[in-house]
Amino acid sequence: MASVKLEGVTKRYEDVTAVNEMSLEIEDGEFVTFVGPSGCGKSTTMETIAGLTLPTEGTIEIGERDVTNLPPKDRGISMVFQNIALFPHMDVYDNVSFGLRLRQYDQEEIDRRVEEAADIVQLEGMMDRMPKEMSGGQRQRVAIARAIVRNPGAFLMDEPLANLDAELRVHMRTQLQRLHRELDTTIIYVTHDQAQAMTMSDRIAVIDSGVLQQVAPPLKCYNEPANLFVAGFIGSPAMNFLEGEVVDGGFESEYANIDFDPKAHGVTPRQDLTVGIRPENVFLEEDSRKAASPTKPFDAVVDVIEPMGKEVNAYLLFDRDVEASAEGRGEGQLLINLTPDTDIEEDDDVRIVMDRQNVHLFDRTSGDAISHSLET
Amino acid sequence: MTDRSTEPGDELTPGADETTLEAAPDGGVADAETVDQPVVNPTADEPDLDRGLIAAWAAKMITNPDRAYRASFYVATIFFLVTTLFPFYWLFVVAVTPRNNLSEVGVFIPAGFNPAAFIEVFTTLPFHRYVFNSFLIATIATVAVLLVGSLAGYVFGRLRFRGRNVMLLLVLVTSFFPPAAFFIPLNRLFNTNVDVLRPLLSAGSLYNTPYAIFIPLSAIFLPLSIFILMTFYSQIPDGLEDAARVEGTTRIGALFRVIVPLSAPGVATAGVLTFISVYNEYFFSSLMTDGRPGSWAPMLEGILRFQGEFEVLYNLMAAASIVAVLPVAILVVVAQEKIVSGLTTGAVKE
Repeated sequence: MASVKLEGVTKRYEDVTAVNEMSLEIEDGEFVTFVGPSGCGKSTTMETIAGLTLPTEGTIEIGERDVTNLPPKDRGISMVFQNIALFPHMDVYDNVSFGLRLRQYDQEEIDRRVEEAADIVQLEGMMDRMPKEMSGGQRQRVAIARAIVRNPGAFLMDEPLANLDAELRVHMRTQLQRLHRELDTTIIYVTHDQAQAMTMSDRIAVIDSGVLQQVAPPLKCYNEPANLFVAGFIGSPAMNFLEGEVVDGGFESEYANIDFDPKAHGVTPRQDLTVGIRPENVFLEEDSRKAASPTKPFDAVVDVIEPMGKEVNAYLLFDRDVEASAEGRGEGQLLINLTPDTDIEEDDDVRIVMDRQNVHLFDRTSGDAISHSLET
Repeated sequence: MTDRSTEPGDELTPGADETTLEAAPDGGVADAETVDQPVVNPTADEPDLDRGLIAAWAAKMITNPDRAYRASFYVATIFFLVTTLFPFYWLFVVAVTPRNNLSEVGVFIPAGFNPAAFIEVFTTLPFHRYVFNSFLIATIATVAVLLVGSLAGYVFGRLRFRGRNVMLLLVLVTSFFPPAAFFIPLNRLFNTNVDVLRPLLSAGSLYNTPYAIFIPLSAIFLPLSIFILMTFYSQIPDGLEDAARVEGTTRIGALFRVIVPLSAPGVATAGVLTFISVYNEYFFSSLMTDGRPGSWAPMLEGILRFQGEFEVLYNLMAAASIVAVLPVAILVVVAQEKIVSGLTTGAVKE
């Protein structure tokens, strides 16, 4: 059990900066998830913590000990890999006890610890199986057993569930949470799957282009995203954005105007502003009582309807002239969540309202959040 | 065609058809043409063809191509077996032919039988010492080549660094030179008395020591091994090496505990190739020693010693050759068992 502290960690490859000035403190026993799109530097950050790559600049402390230049084996950490990485020429027992044997524990101690670890991940009676004789889930459990058997200060998990099928992934997700509760160890988890990030972590660290965007508990990242990137990345389906500018009476864009007092939010007229609204915070006009504080209604056209069972996703266009963008949601398009009993059809004209309590304002130049509600 | 009407039973029971078909060939071609018998495919409606033996055989092959493949497999196998094994057989024929009958030796049958040649090989000369010399030198060279080759293969196969390709090319270029090009400088070098070596080596020079053979041969065969090992090591997934390092090995530890065992086929290939090459090497081995068994002269030198001033003991040379082949043959068989491919399957889920 140990805290992990990154200070100004930077990793530069010849002409790419993979990680830029990353500073982060992870407390003892905390479950922190690094999340971000692929290639954002989250895995590189983890590799620098593990010692598999050395940072170009900055220091790393694990358990109050500067480990920046120590090899991986001396850092008191263990790791679970995306591709599982069991040693194929060793059976389960040899795989799990590999680290203990290298550290020359006595045989009794090794047996006891391996048994204990196997017990935690429910691998009893499989000790002499070879990895290729096991299913994906079993292999993953062996990998976890190998990680916990040494009782490390911190676990690093690099997309450990990415290669499992969907059902097993959800199952392993709860298993990992249980494991965290039982072991009470620091876990650093890397994923690009925000569902895993949201469900498991105490805090999530959102990373983009090697820069830390926000470190906060999952719901805080969801409800109060620090900037445009976090707002767009966390949440599925993603937040809607409207680009426009501040005018005297509020916000004005090509398709929609929203009234608010610019002074109360510290914005000045003519400032470039992006308004964000989550799909579940937009309602049809007849349901406007569901919104705590509805805006005035906007006209829109239903473009595509996606019934999901427990809800319906409707893609709206503000205007019949808007061309639906082929790449994601473009300007003038809006995704809303509706209850499954909503009676609308494609090509209907609808009127919608937004919930002012959940309208996010972002400064478009810097991307930083200005406000997370229009009510003050 | 009359057959059809008179023997309707044959047409209805294909089993009976086949027995007649199989019985037919011993009668020969003429038989098949004259004897009235249903050489037909009972299921086909095409008219009866009078087929000769070869035509019938060809038809069978066409309807059942698996037989054709199997037949060609056996033909090819037998061909290769004969071409590779016959020289050994002929060596054996020469070896057991008594010395006086050597001029009458045939191709297939020895002119007389004298297995004592296999014992005379060791009594006439200490041939076992020659074989031991070669075996020892080859073993040391193989171990050294695999060790150095593994380290180099790891670096070239798994690390990215500036100048990697240039360095690899330089290493490989060594193996493009004819070994003879190195001989004169090496011979001069090894014949120089180095005072520092005097306490270690009687003469203070490397001439007539196993080092004089093992050093240049290891160097000459090293590039090939580096190349083979590099290819194998580069295919081991990074995750396995990372896992080993996190679990508690150094990079070198991960190389020998994880990467090398998983590259067993490659290591065995490089090892066998090096061993055989060094064991069979003659050019350097013969020139770096004075040819006496005590001076670490190699096995080939021993075989040539059966060639006297006035007569050539072909039978002993043949017997010695067979004896000399045995260690290599045993090694290859053992190594083959160790070459278990497919070890990496299931290692990593891609």
